Amino acid sequence: MTQRQVRRLPVTDDVDTSGFWEASAQGVLRIRRCVKCSAFVHLPRNHCPKCHSPDTVWHDVPGRGTLVSFCIAEQQIDPAFPTPYTAVLVDVDDAPGVRLVGHMSGRVELTLGMKMIATFEKIDDDVTMPQWRPAPAD
Amino acid sequence: MKHGLAESIRDKCAIVGIGTTDFSSRSGRSVLTLATQACLAAIADAELDPEQVDGIVRCDIDQVLHNDLAASLGLTDLRFWSTVGTGGGAPCGMVAQAVAAIQSGQANTVIVFRSLNGRSGVRFGQPMSDSDRVGGRGSYDEFFIPYGVQVPGHMFSMMARRHMADFGTTEEQLGHIALTCRRRANANPAAQMSLRTMTMDDYMGSRPISRPLRLFDYCLETDGACAVIVTSAERARDLPKPPALIRAVAQGTVADEQPGYFLSSLLRESLTTWPSDPVAKTLYARAGCGPGDIDVAQIYDCFTITALIQLEDYGFCAKGEGGPFAASGALDMSGSLPINTSGGHLSEGYIHGLTHIVEGVRQIRGTSTSQVRDAATCLVTSGVPNASSAMILRTDS
Repeated sequence: MTQRQVRRLPVTDDVDTSGFWEASAQGVLRIRRCVKCSAFVHLPRNHCPKCHSPDTVWHDVPGRGTLVSFCIAEQQIDPAFPTPYTAVLVDVDDAPGVRLVGHMSGRVELTLGMKMIATFEKIDDDVTMPQWRPAPAD
Repeated sequence: MKHGLAESIRDKCAIVGIGTTDFSSRSGRSVLTLATQACLAAIADAELDPEQVDGIVRCDIDQVLHNDLAASLGLTDLRFWSTVGTGGGAPCGMVAQAVAAIQSGQANTVIVFRSLNGRSGVRFGQPMSDSDRVGGRGSYDEFFIPYGVQVPGHMFSMMARRHMADFGTTEEQLGHIALTCRRRANANPAAQMSLRTMTMDDYMGSRPISRPLRLFDYCLETDGACAVIVTSAERARDLPKPPALIRAVAQGTVADEQPGYFLSSLLRESLTTWPSDPVAKTLYARAGCGPGDIDVAQIYDCFTITALIQLEDYGFCAKGEGGPFAASGALDMSGSLPINTSGGHLSEGYIHGLTHIVEGVRQIRGTSTSQVRDAATCLVTSGVPNASSAMILRTDS
């Protein structure tokens, strides 16, 4: 496989997931949610797995969360992602069952359970990626 | 009577032939050649003729198709084939397909195989997509790959960190799993790591790949193939070699299974209890036995943490106790649960779950290079955290 220098970006026009990326471009975290039973449906898809309703819509959620885990990548396998870097898993506040991934450069000192806040990394006119950083102390 | 039907297939089928190629980092052969070599070896081991094979089960991520293999083996009467996924989670479920085909009268003699140029060809630990945009069409890769979360090691290292935080699991405890597998490989001339010993200093000194995991937490990358032959127990008893009876086999997943290939397992509520937990419950119920009845186990070990969490999920120790259990000596030849007696994926070779089935049969036959004395039952597990599968093999008493 040829090694590429360019960072691979998310598709933003998929019928099930495009609403997430459209919201990101506006600086908003938006998650699929069931109108009937209020369950969040992430990864986004049309039918609610809890009550089987087809009536799910995009719902804004706060850009805050809790760190579930992280890894520090040391071996470079993709030139677009120079090592070391830290990848985080964050449970989004007030959105039960919704967990998102984030990317930080370098080796970042983190503690599981710490509070995180969302930021929005604009890549180009089409793609803005939600990212996560440790929340500033209160 | 949830398990009633499954009880009726207890011990009704058996593995009667096993075959492997050599395991290397550069086979110089196509995956079709490797598959053919392993299948012919398994057919010969069973003392059957290729003409007697009428079923093939392949794995979804392998490149060799059922018709490729049938043509290469010169099969003349193929009447059942199936593809089972996902990847390393499939192999025991592939055997389940063979059992189902035999029990329902769709086939008599079924080959289950995997064939990979896992080092010189398609490397599982490298980025899998070469396109500018990733995701869509139900893959959900857009939520992972553009963040640099790309390969199994990234996923397992996050799961390992959570296990460490929740239960106090240490890197050295993971190291005991690596060392155990290496000792078994050192006794197995066919293992890729046969001639290389490993100390705890070697383990702790190996380079970090995706912290908290290091090189020796990772399995090998292997070119090779394995095959096994499944037939009815009745027919198996007419063949020269002692059958490895399939006491029970099960597939399963967790309630909050996720869509997508495998990285989406990171979004499940628990990162430290896997589909191996429900698979274990189904498997033991079908088998009518429990973890205390298992003499030896071949635990899927694409990473050390993969094996450690399964020790808990399959009930050999309590949840969270996998680290102390691994460090206690229980996994060694003199312990209560010798594991991965040919060296496992960590040190024998990585044919994604099939090597473990082959070694399970050797234990039941009494022909392992690290034979557990009087082994009558062997647990074999397939990959996690994908939807998984497992089986229990036993001697014909």
